[in-house]
Amino acid sequence: MKIVKTGIAGTLESSDVMITVRSNSGKGIEIHLQSIVEKQFGKQIRLVVDSFLKTLSVDDAVVQINDRGALDCTIEARLAAALYRGADRTDYDWEKI
Amino acid sequence: MDNNYQLTKEFIKRPDTGEISEISSLLEENSLTFDDDIEETLLIKIDSIPAATGSISGNVLKCIAVKNEFKNRNLTGHLLTDLVNREYQKGNTDLFLFTKPDNRTIFSQLGFFPVYEIKDNVILMENNPSGLDTYIEKLKKESEKYSGIKGKRSSIVVNCNPVTNGHLYLIEKAASESDLLHLFVVSEDRSVFPFETRYRLVREATEHIKNLVLHTGSYYIISNSTFPSYFIKDSKKIVTLHAQLDLGIFSERIAPALGITERVAGDEPLCPVTSNYNRMMNEILPPRGINFRIIKRLESEGDVVSASRVRKLLIERDFKSIRRIVPSATYNFLTSEEGEKIIDILKKGKK
Repeated sequence: MKIVKTGIAGTLESSDVMITVRSNSGKGIEIHLQSIVEKQFGKQIRLVVDSFLKTLSVDDAVVQINDRGALDCTIEARLAAALYRGADRTDYDWEKI
Repeated sequence: MDNNYQLTKEFIKRPDTGEISEISSLLEENSLTFDDDIEETLLIKIDSIPAATGSISGNVLKCIAVKNEFKNRNLTGHLLTDLVNREYQKGNTDLFLFTKPDNRTIFSQLGFFPVYEIKDNVILMENNPSGLDTYIEKLKKESEKYSGIKGKRSSIVVNCNPVTNGHLYLIEKAASESDLLHLFVVSEDRSVFPFETRYRLVREATEHIKNLVLHTGSYYIISNSTFPSYFIKDSKKIVTLHAQLDLGIFSERIAPALGITERVAGDEPLCPVTSNYNRMMNEILPPRGINFRIIKRLESEGDVVSASRVRKLLIERDFKSIRRIVPSATYNFLTSEEGEKIIDILKKGKK
């Protein structure tokens, strides 16, 4: 999946996460994480994001995560929405996401 | 705490007097005032009481305030979510805000990153973690094919609304007195001539200058129209802070990346704001290793050649006089259909 523009999803409300993806052509994945529970779950959040990016075959993107204590499934859902918006696509692969 | 409250949110485009007073009183509580260039304002109410507000103006978020008794309920999070989403809907994805340095932590937690701070006074933040770095990379790339040119690298920042022989004289002179000239065209779209047009005309008018590299100003060459006045009361201080911020970014980040050691400007006998800015450049730039030089403006028929003179002549439709003071690129544009549209806008603005 190729990110062609900036995509955003989610909110900054408690138990949610706001995710912004930007194009980063040819320069790989860059993750900026900010979380109110970074000390406890920072590593886990990165794992979830990394593996989800692989699932959707995203090779180049700047992913900015602003987490307010979201569950893993919420993070995946918000990330999927942001990525599809950033890729300007609506042909969702429901089996993968 | 009572959790059974009702929260309502509303975006207001043209606030009526009642709404203005609700918004203003929220802002005043936080020693802010309602800026006059606001496009839309978000008002959050809790049980019908105005609780928080924030506004957008171009790609800048401003006038953000939360009522004291409603603090610690993450209303700033609510505000930012909706303001950011609104901006994205409008197609603005690179967002900025100016705030007091005390608020740095709050906005950092909500996805904004510091760009430049003037201690105790103002901090500029953006939502892109590497916005300025990306811009600097782009500037370097644009300059790449001139990397063989050694020696003095000078710079000029212009608005060119539209480009005149006066600008051209300044640019040619600066280019002839340096080995490479970096020319930045202010990209802020708050002039009569849209940025695309201003940039295209400058490019056409300067094509013959071989040691010139043209750049778009981007958001990091901050125009005084973007700079907020709403949280700084003293108008003299606004000018100073704006200059410190804009020139701070220029001299500490942009100039070193491109090897620029000089900045040139035309002298300014007419506009007090610009002449003040020239004075600030003279104070701020040399101590940071950038030589500042003023070049006397081109005159014709006893008057300096300026874009404002061209705009005045346009309203009078005096194309004969215009022809004498603008390059052919500008003249051809002004006499085209697109030019007519600009004249219409100018005439309406005059009324």
